[in-house]
Amino acid sequence: MGTILSTQAVSKRFGDVIALDDVSLEIREGEFFTIVGPSGSGKSTLLRILAGLETPAAGRVHLRNADITDVPANRRPTCMVFQNLALFSHRSVGENIEFSQKMKGVPPHERREHALDMMRIVRLPESYYGRRVTHCSGGEQQRVALARALASDPEILFFDEPLSSIDYRLRKILEVEMKDLHRRTGKTFVYITHSLEEAMVMSDRIAIMKSGRIVQSGTPTDIYYRPTNRFVAEFMGEVNVFELAGGQIAELGIAVPAGAAGCLAVRPEFLRKLGDGERADVRFPATVANDYMLGSRTHYHLDTGKRILVAEVAAGKAAEITVGAKAEWGFDLSDAALLDE
Amino acid sequence: MRRPNPGILTMLPVLVFLLAGFVIPILVVALYSLMPPRTFDLAGSPTFTNYATAFADGYWRPLMWSALGAAATTLICLVLAWPTARALDRFAGRWATLVTLLIALPIFISESVRLFGLALFMMPGGGILAGSIDALFGVSIGTILYTRLAALLGLVYIHFPFVLFPLLLGVSLVPKDQVAAARDLGASGWQVFREIEAPLAAPGAAVGALLCFVLSLGANAEMNILGGQAVTVITNAIEQRFNYAQDWPLGAALTVLTVLLTAAVVFPVLRRIDVDSLARR
Repeated sequence: MGTILSTQAVSKRFGDVIALDDVSLEIREGEFFTIVGPSGSGKSTLLRILAGLETPAAGRVHLRNADITDVPANRRPTCMVFQNLALFSHRSVGENIEFSQKMKGVPPHERREHALDMMRIVRLPESYYGRRVTHCSGGEQQRVALARALASDPEILFFDEPLSSIDYRLRKILEVEMKDLHRRTGKTFVYITHSLEEAMVMSDRIAIMKSGRIVQSGTPTDIYYRPTNRFVAEFMGEVNVFELAGGQIAELGIAVPAGAAGCLAVRPEFLRKLGDGERADVRFPATVANDYMLGSRTHYHLDTGKRILVAEVAAGKAAEITVGAKAEWGFDLSDAALLDE
Repeated sequence: MRRPNPGILTMLPVLVFLLAGFVIPILVVALYSLMPPRTFDLAGSPTFTNYATAFADGYWRPLMWSALGAAATTLICLVLAWPTARALDRFAGRWATLVTLLIALPIFISESVRLFGLALFMMPGGGILAGSIDALFGVSIGTILYTRLAALLGLVYIHFPFVLFPLLLGVSLVPKDQVAAARDLGASGWQVFREIEAPLAAPGAAVGALLCFVLSLGANAEMNILGGQAVTVITNAIEQRFNYAQDWPLGAALTVLTVLLTAAVVFPVLRRIDVDSLARR
């Protein structure tokens, strides 16, 4: 899989605010690439630069080997699905989907056939063709926007948080549909969101942004289990972070060979209650302060006397843990990630 | 005791005003237009003689000049107002407010004063424009004063704000992201205008165009002050019939024809546009 889209040291500022600071990334052909970050992290600006709706102050953007930094959006083989979808409110579903072909001068009957094909791909009933987009539900509008973007046959589809204003249940359904659609079409998807969950479910690779910089990129598994800094570790779900000082976990006084400074991140599912004689690289006594049932798993708050840690136990093994019970808990260093700050 | 409906009660003053000031006079004029020529009461037997005279005596000419002038004014104002409205909408802020104010302020000055000002500006020889150019560059230029072109210039000058402000409202109804989406889907600047901006701004454009057309159709100060004797419009003709010629029925018939022409333009447009979308703003 070759690189289809890349940026080299792209920067952008708005007045005194640095929106993007020396960002370089490579997006591979056919992958589902997600840029995640809190609001104000620069992810929208980066997407707009990738899509050609904004030009960087410094740095270049390449499509394969061609420099497209100064090529406007309408001359790029890419298409954007906007945050609020930006459907043409005065047009029908069919007219929306056909728009790009109409602009190219494709004759009406051919456009219609193509639009109906696109509607099949996104699973919109044919009867919706003549319906006004304003009379469609949120999920249907989502599909119209997808079909409209696909109809222009772009090499890359950009998504600017299209699911952010949709309720939880429908969002879950659309996340799955989006990933299926990606697989069926084989196109490169570049998606931005502030939701880690969304990014994890759909993406092949994720880049995490903070204050205009990419702090880490990799597969969802990489990023979840091997975060390289505290921001990423904490952004991607619950985590126990231990400060290291002088080759020891400071609060527990346990020596670790991993490193002299920085932090150690341990996901809740790697903390386990130790049976008699069971060994673990790091062990400590703790009292179960409270339990939180999450369906297939349960979260426990463990009180070590100095702080609260979070442990996650699969539903089947939860029976032996009771709130208020004091026991030995521990984890292995091979399950921990060393953070550089 | 039943209290009267408060809705009707609050509407009453306006109803009375419209009835006395609009409906009754229009009906009287309509009735007069059916009276025998040069009579001054409504007792005569109804006849269409005045309408026949109106066409036979060539009164369709001033009506045509009025309609042409109004149509041309509307078109020119729309073409001029579109880029202005777009710029004001895009660069909204202090400068836009200032420009808006500069365009709106003249409305508070009497129309005749402004038109005489324009006439002074265009005056040949010692006029502001010709005089300045002569003094500065020693070049003598002619003038367009007292031509149809001058009258048209006056019409555009006076009615521009009436097109601009409704159009500005219409342009502000066009969602920016729909324009961005259209561009992203490969639309050229012209295609974005035709497919997205124009249809979405249409209610504003239509309201502005109607205001301009109706006002221009009834205008005569522009012709009198800037057009001189170059063109007679229907309002001049009506005024002459009522005042100098003392032929009220013919004047009334011309008035009715003008009202019908206005209605024929206004109602089809009003039926097609969604004025509510503007009112909601």
